Amino acid sequence: MRALAIRRLTLLLPTVIGVVTLVFAFLHLLPGDPVEIMLGEWAAPADVAGLRRELGLDRPLAAQYVRFLAHAARGDLGHSIAFRAPVGRVIAARYPATLELAAAALVLALAFAVPLGVLAAVRRGSALDRSARLASLVGVCLPSFWLGPLLMLWFSIRLGWLPVSGRGGLAHLALPAVTLALGMAGILVRLTRASLLAALGEDYVRTARAKGAPRWRAVGVHALRNALVPVVTVLGLQAGALLAGAVITETVFSWPGIGRLLVQAIQARDYPLVQGCVLAIGLSYVAVNTVADVLAGVIDPRLGEDGR
Amino acid sequence: MAVLGGLTGGCGDAPPPAGALVVAFDSDPQSLDPRFQTDANGARLAGLLQVGLTRADAAGRRVPELARTWEMPDPRTFVFHLRPDFRFPDGTAVTAADVRSTYEAVRDPALASPKRTALAVLSAVEAPDPATVVMRLTEPFAPFLDATGLGILPAARARDTGEVTIGAGPFQLVSAERGEQLVLAPNPAYPDGVPKLHPVIIRIVPDETVRVLELRRGGVHLVEDAPEPEMVAWLATVPTLLVRRSPGTSFVYLALNLRDPRLADRRVREAITLALDREGLVRFVLGDAARPATGLLAPEHWAYAPARPPRHDPRRARRLLDRAGYRGARPGAPRFRLVYKTSAQPVRRRLAEAVQTELGAIGIAVDVRVYEWGTLYADVRSGNFELASLAWVGVTDPDLYYLAFHSTMTPPAGYNRGAYVSRVTDRLTTAGRQTFAPARRRAIYARVQHRLAHDLPVVPLWWEDRVVVQTRRLRGFEPSPSGDLRGLAAAYLD
Repeated sequence: MRALAIRRLTLLLPTVIGVVTLVFAFLHLLPGDPVEIMLGEWAAPADVAGLRRELGLDRPLAAQYVRFLAHAARGDLGHSIAFRAPVGRVIAARYPATLELAAAALVLALAFAVPLGVLAAVRRGSALDRSARLASLVGVCLPSFWLGPLLMLWFSIRLGWLPVSGRGGLAHLALPAVTLALGMAGILVRLTRASLLAALGEDYVRTARAKGAPRWRAVGVHALRNALVPVVTVLGLQAGALLAGAVITETVFSWPGIGRLLVQAIQARDYPLVQGCVLAIGLSYVAVNTVADVLAGVIDPRLGEDGR
Repeated sequence: MAVLGGLTGGCGDAPPPAGALVVAFDSDPQSLDPRFQTDANGARLAGLLQVGLTRADAAGRRVPELARTWEMPDPRTFVFHLRPDFRFPDGTAVTAADVRSTYEAVRDPALASPKRTALAVLSAVEAPDPATVVMRLTEPFAPFLDATGLGILPAARARDTGEVTIGAGPFQLVSAERGEQLVLAPNPAYPDGVPKLHPVIIRIVPDETVRVLELRRGGVHLVEDAPEPEMVAWLATVPTLLVRRSPGTSFVYLALNLRDPRLADRRVREAITLALDREGLVRFVLGDAARPATGLLAPEHWAYAPARPPRHDPRRARRLLDRAGYRGARPGAPRFRLVYKTSAQPVRRRLAEAVQTELGAIGIAVDVRVYEWGTLYADVRSGNFELASLAWVGVTDPDLYYLAFHSTMTPPAGYNRGAYVSRVTDRLTTAGRQTFAPARRRAIYARVQHRLAHDLPVVPLWWEDRVVVQTRRLRGFEPSPSGDLRGLAAAYLD
């Protein structure tokens, strides 16, 4: 277990550096001068040159990259061009909203998907199983830019139960969380069902039943534990994507999270902020997946032993 | 969902405080600091937070604001006499020292204000007494008054490097959660009547559908960015909402790159102009929420010269192209192809499709390329385009003709993105800058407009109407043609 955790942690640094390098390269390939966008068309050439110098944009690309990495290593992500504030502070102000939305979506998806997946597997071929598979397919297929406004129309406009958009209390959280959770739940239902069906066919489950273990125990304790390993792995990927900012959902629901911030930063060609956002997102993604890997090792200790 | 809604109803869905007006913006203003503000949403709020020496009226004329009156003892000197009753929210009077400090800060290269260029002709700002400001120019420059709309900051804060939003406007900024909302409260010291709306909340709602749904639900009370025509029609059926249309000044046009030898030929430009059915475009693309345009200045502008809108005459357009030597290789084949660049805005995309069809009818094949705004802007600035749909928003002084059409004003010096060259236009637009008498200036710009209507360096399309959707409870609000929100100072909620 400890070895698995150490292995995963040592992979963190090269992964993050790789992500940052790619983003740095792609961002600088984009057309449009961030300084001209910031100062407007009428800026004096001397002011444009001055700001470019101040931001280090007049240096060779390699020098800019090394400078960014060196500053990032010290925790200095630079100054946001659009927000005129330290990038770290701008991101820190938005991250709680993303965390809140991601946590709510995750809880909803898990609370819905795992029981439904288990029931579908246990009652394979029944009407419930067919309905669960259909519902999960619909959940996976509905795009959030369509589902979000549809939910708003129904629950906010027609029924008047929930606010349309914005961040406030739990009521504001409901629609964006459900929009995000539905897609994730669809994947998890199918995965839980498939994994559990595979586990139920294993010898150790038959042995448990032959030794007199009741059906709920064979399913809930013996089979489900093993069936959850792929579910946790996929959950880690999904949770990482949520923390990376559900860009569309956050935009549709005017949710002031990191996804919306990233879009704003890209539109303003705010290089320092885009880089900072991507770094924060990369770190979150890798951290969540590391936790998921370790958790999978807890559920199935064999993962730590054989070095997988 | 029902359970969640039932459990949480009232938990976070608290309505805005009584008396609050919620206005939805599509994006955050980039800056509320008059020294740095250059974006459209920032400009819409500038008039609420700060006052300038002068401001533009609906006809584009400079009218008094902080300055009660002004005079010109000579063509290089402006003397402004200030009103004594303007105060910052803390009760401190706005004096000539504040004006001088604000202007000097903007002129200081160390601050790197984007507005420094607009004040390039200003050589000195003096404050001989608290109620008098003297501005000296390096040369006679008639459009200078346009730069006197700069919002005045307290002298002590004028050189702060951070964002300064304090002003003597009708409102003050109470809180700002970037990307979420701005909260404005009345300035208790505002001399022209303390606003009754308390507070004004500016909510950032990027998605257009959501802005419309928020209006329908009552979470937003006012939207000034015209939604899609179909949505406006739907909102007009909601009893609690009022849809108001008024003539606007935003000018939408097709930019032509005259560096391209085909577009350098005036006959080709005229053919493109004649091929477009403006009435049809306005009806199809904007649901009749616009007026076919004759040029940059709308009829409400003081310098507008009446002109006949370009005709729709595809037959003559084909003849012109024939005469210019552009014939298809065989019947039905295109005469030539043009690349049309546009932003991803739905209205602009629909326009591109319509233009593609109408130019196709005269034998010009059009390849439409849709770009994100930053990319389109960079391409247009660098001359990397053939056709592009663009707009001029918030036109005040007609000196824009110099900036957009003088041969020396190709980017980065100015806005002459199509590289139009005309000695007549150069001479007239230069004269317009140096002429102070309004009647003579007007005559000069009338000639400029006729010249451009003949040369067609751009193809005029329409002036967009202002479409404002508001709650019927909002009274006393007069939308401005430019879209600024100054009208909220006199408004109240029933």
